[in-house]
Amino acid sequence: MNMQAPDNFLSIEELTVEYPLQGGKKVHAVTQFTAHVRKGETLGLVGESGCGKSSAARAVMQLPRPTSGKVSLDGQELTGLRGSALQKARRRFQMIFQDPIASLNPRMTIREIVSAPLEIAGIGTRADRDARVAEMLETVGINAEQAMDRRPHEFSGGQCQRISIARALALQPDLLVCDEAVSALDVSVQAQVLNLLEKLKKDLGLTMLFISHDLAVVKHVSDRVAVMYLGRLCELADAETIYRNPVHPYTRTLLSAVPEPDPDAPPHEMNLVPGELPSPVNPPSGCPFRTRCPRASEICAQEMPELRYAAEGQLVACHHPHLDGK
Amino acid sequence: MGEIILDVRDQKTAFFTARGMAQAVDGVSFTLERGKTLGVVGESGSGKSVLSRSIMRLLPGNAVVPGESKVILNGRDLTRMSEKELRRLRGPEMAIIFQDPMTSLNPVLTIGKQIMEVLTFHMGMKKRDARAKAVDLLKAVGLPQPDVRVDQYPHQLSGGMRQRVAIAIAIACEPDLLIADEPTTALDVTVQAEILDLLQRMVRERNMAMILITHDMGVVAGRCDEVAVMYAGRIVEKAPVRDLFHKTRMPYTAALLSSIPKVTDPPHRKLDAIEGRPPDIINPPPGCPFAPRCKYAEPACDAGKPALEGGARHQWACIKPLGEEVAA
Repeated sequence: MNMQAPDNFLSIEELTVEYPLQGGKKVHAVTQFTAHVRKGETLGLVGESGCGKSSAARAVMQLPRPTSGKVSLDGQELTGLRGSALQKARRRFQMIFQDPIASLNPRMTIREIVSAPLEIAGIGTRADRDARVAEMLETVGINAEQAMDRRPHEFSGGQCQRISIARALALQPDLLVCDEAVSALDVSVQAQVLNLLEKLKKDLGLTMLFISHDLAVVKHVSDRVAVMYLGRLCELADAETIYRNPVHPYTRTLLSAVPEPDPDAPPHEMNLVPGELPSPVNPPSGCPFRTRCPRASEICAQEMPELRYAAEGQLVACHHPHLDGK
Repeated sequence: MGEIILDVRDQKTAFFTARGMAQAVDGVSFTLERGKTLGVVGESGSGKSVLSRSIMRLLPGNAVVPGESKVILNGRDLTRMSEKELRRLRGPEMAIIFQDPMTSLNPVLTIGKQIMEVLTFHMGMKKRDARAKAVDLLKAVGLPQPDVRVDQYPHQLSGGMRQRVAIAIAIACEPDLLIADEPTTALDVTVQAEILDLLQRMVRERNMAMILITHDMGVVAGRCDEVAVMYAGRIVEKAPVRDLFHKTRMPYTAALLSSIPKVTDPPHRKLDAIEGRPPDIINPPPGCPFAPRCKYAEPACDAGKPALEGGARHQWACIKPLGEEVAA
């Protein structure tokens, strides 16, 4: 099935990530995941822990390379690149991580941290790099003059995350992958960093892959949203549609579980068969969600549902989707 | 008016640190009735967890609590009790559930043993009866296959199941007061909803009083009768849940509410972030601790810490509270 739109900037096709275990078993972290992102667009990736969203993001970064499947950026296939060719291509895609303090080397100064990607890429003289570092720090709202020669422990979590963003943007990448980038921050600081990411995306024309377990955060930054469960794509649609009219039973469950900051919000029915998340070592046959799905039938155990269009621009992998609002 | 279970009066908790005294809880007072749930919200460092440990009297050695601070549980002042007396109360009268169920359970004991320990120590139960009761409790908290799980170790359970076990231990002796300190922060949203449902049901069925501590405004909105908002160690607003959301008086509460991304917002809405950071509790600003970040601040705000004012229902700590029309 070809879901390729003509203007795809990032193409993820049939991405599969498996981690070997002892005794020949495997963790099926990501299975046959396909998604396409247009230039300047943000694709949000949501799901609960263990659904494979971080593994998918890392496979896009080639850290490590996926077990199978293809990732291409602006027509260049990343999965085929090796050695220095890959290193060169990496300038175009950068990543920010969840823990802002752990992702900065405590022994390095902010100047060294932010200029490291430039040095590795062999860009400019020392003075050029310093100027670029100062510019990046100011862009993310850090006073460069005061910050340059200090070390990460002197900054708060929110400031460290800004510094990570400055480092990621130093090489002027086209694609920014954010893996739970605001999850460790307090709400007031989280809002600052989210606003910053939105502004940078607009100013720099960034394409983003934004991974989070927080559905409200994902809605805020995403143009389109992909929902994953146990390594598989359940549903993918533009942000407005997927939140207003989710058709996959799992998307519905997930949305109904989000506590709304409104005391008058009606108590929600979660519609989830009680039980535990199956193990990705032994995923259920057929549709992975069937063991907890209130709509599951026999066919769900036999066949993995194919990805199909539920509506224009809304892809779903389900035998019994909620179509026509039902 | 229901029966008052807990009466906290002017609780102050400070810690000796290398940089100086850190005033983590700075004069907190409130009462809690049987059958009610009080939500305590705040950002990290606002003192909400230290408050819960101050109530439980589970403070480390470098904590300093002045003599005028009182915690009265069922008419008895916990601050005057010995550790031995307190041990007799933790379980039958008050219990706490922590954020991380992996570190709050003992990894080398089966979960059954950990529940039985409470029952034999406090209720004087025989081993066999305690085991049967442990299985009943695991069933009550919705653990699948309780008769098998009772012999398993914490690492054999998922995070959600471990939190159910922690709840089973906490309610084993039917305490009057249950403190849940960020009980669902480490859990996925669907599991969070199940655990919160369970806590709510337990409070109702057993007619307990609960303090639910969280940083998540969504969690308090649906699960509490009353909410106290903490900032820099103080309660800065306290109200019945509806009033807090719809008749917000304290600028910090309003700012917090509008900085949260909501699933009901349209995509790409610009968030009203609160600029700056919470104050340093070792060197707090002289006046209102929120004044440096408050968009309504004026010179008078730096003149001293505003006291909680207002009626019995709704209180706020602000000299220029928001009017009714600025509901969030």
